[in-house]
Amino acid sequence: MNEIAQSTRSTEHLNPDTLSAFIDGELSQQQRQGIDQHLTNCHACTLRVLSATQLKAATARAGHRFAPPPEALSRLTAKLHSQQTQPQQIQTHQVQTEKIQTEKIQTQQPQKKTSAPIFSIRPAAWAALAAAILLTVSLLSWRQLHQTNALAAELLDQHLATLSNAAIPQVISTDRHTVKPWFQGRLPFSFNIPDATALPTDTLLKGADLTYLNGQPAALLLFTIHKHEVSIFLAQRSTSSTLATLPTTRAGFTLHTATTPDLNIIAVSDVNPADLDNLIAALVRAQKPV
Amino acid sequence: MFNSQCLPTNAASLLPQHLRHTEALRTMSSATIRSADFEQLALPLFTSLYNHAFWLTRNQAEAEDLVQETFTKALRAFDSFQPGTNFKAWIFRILRNTFLTTRTGIAASRTLFLEDHPGVLDTFATDPTPEDNLIRLDNEAALHTALEQLQPPLREALLLCDVEEIKYKDIAIILDVPIGTVMSRISRARSTLRQLLQPHLGESL
Repeated sequence: MNEIAQSTRSTEHLNPDTLSAFIDGELSQQQRQGIDQHLTNCHACTLRVLSATQLKAATARAGHRFAPPPEALSRLTAKLHSQQTQPQQIQTHQVQTEKIQTEKIQTQQPQKKTSAPIFSIRPAAWAALAAAILLTVSLLSWRQLHQTNALAAELLDQHLATLSNAAIPQVISTDRHTVKPWFQGRLPFSFNIPDATALPTDTLLKGADLTYLNGQPAALLLFTIHKHEVSIFLAQRSTSSTLATLPTTRAGFTLHTATTPDLNIIAVSDVNPADLDNLIAALVRAQKPV
Repeated sequence: MFNSQCLPTNAASLLPQHLRHTEALRTMSSATIRSADFEQLALPLFTSLYNHAFWLTRNQAEAEDLVQETFTKALRAFDSFQPGTNFKAWIFRILRNTFLTTRTGIAASRTLFLEDHPGVLDTFATDPTPEDNLIRLDNEAALHTALEQLQPPLREALLLCDVEEIKYKDIAIILDVPIGTVMSRISRARSTLRQLLQPHLGESL
């Protein structure tokens, strides 16, 4: 770990191990501070951190790849329960596709004679019921996980990436006249940023990043509302509007959208949804020709 | 073995918050609750374990068998699990050790893995432009292919870190290697991925 100690000196570039440990949240606060300090001055390392964060998020998505067959969980719980409750009784009739309900009935049957005296019927029934509920809930959450809009996941990932200390915006400025021109030549479209006076109260522009949504370049504007971080994604309005199917919340964060004739606007934050809508409204107003 | 106390009378109300609930369960020590306790801890990890088992075995039937065997072993050994320690790391370690005893696992372990490559991958591009450095996130197919091409020990460490979000110290326990090795494997996995994705970097920009 000596390497890490060395590389936290703010003049040195991050070596790959340190960079990885940094984005994985494995460094001490002191080490992180050293790196933060370096990043404020080093454009190249900042980009490497951003890029590594994106790769990490993409790996997480790509790695969640293999879902079990739907009946696998019931096969497993059936096996576990046969192992737990009735070690002596060979359950020859227990076919692989057995439903959890049949197992529940089975455990409710009187257990006399040789069966182990350490459990009673009622708790066993409870256990079976709880397992049945668990099974249902797990299956539901599994389905949900796999059906949720991939765009929502991408948006949230990017928003979360901006929350970490590691994420330094590519443009750090509260001035719309600095932020907007920075995107020129980087985006195939243009947009307006409202003047500070046109923003809702206690809403501040912090900076901006160039990013990608669905493979399309997009502007990521970073605001705070009452100290809550807000990510605003501005992308060219495409013919295929995926925004309609976007969930309005995900993992406790609010995802609100708006469209203008040219733009898709998506806001992600944990701030009060009403405040978020005020900011979106201000952005929409700013796009209207004067 | 079972005790009605261990199961909530209104089980459904607790399940969506199983994470918080399992925290509470971990601190209980009574042996009577352990089987139900085991299921509450282990069943929510089923899809994760299956996904990881598939990455290890690359085969659906083997993955399912591996997970079943892992649960069976883990239940039998649950008394040796120390409440308060990381259950996820504990059961992933059982999964991995079980894998190493399977035919696929034995074959995999025969493949020599050189821990210390010369640092050819550790080159630092001194002045990357943003466009060079950003990976197009939509190209998931390319990333899948790249992940499949990674050497298994690198891929395993990276998946535990990025997909399962397990800390380095716990990955070290699962893989039975020093924490420094975990760090360098993850870092090398990422450098290799980046190299494999190089043809796709910045395309269409």
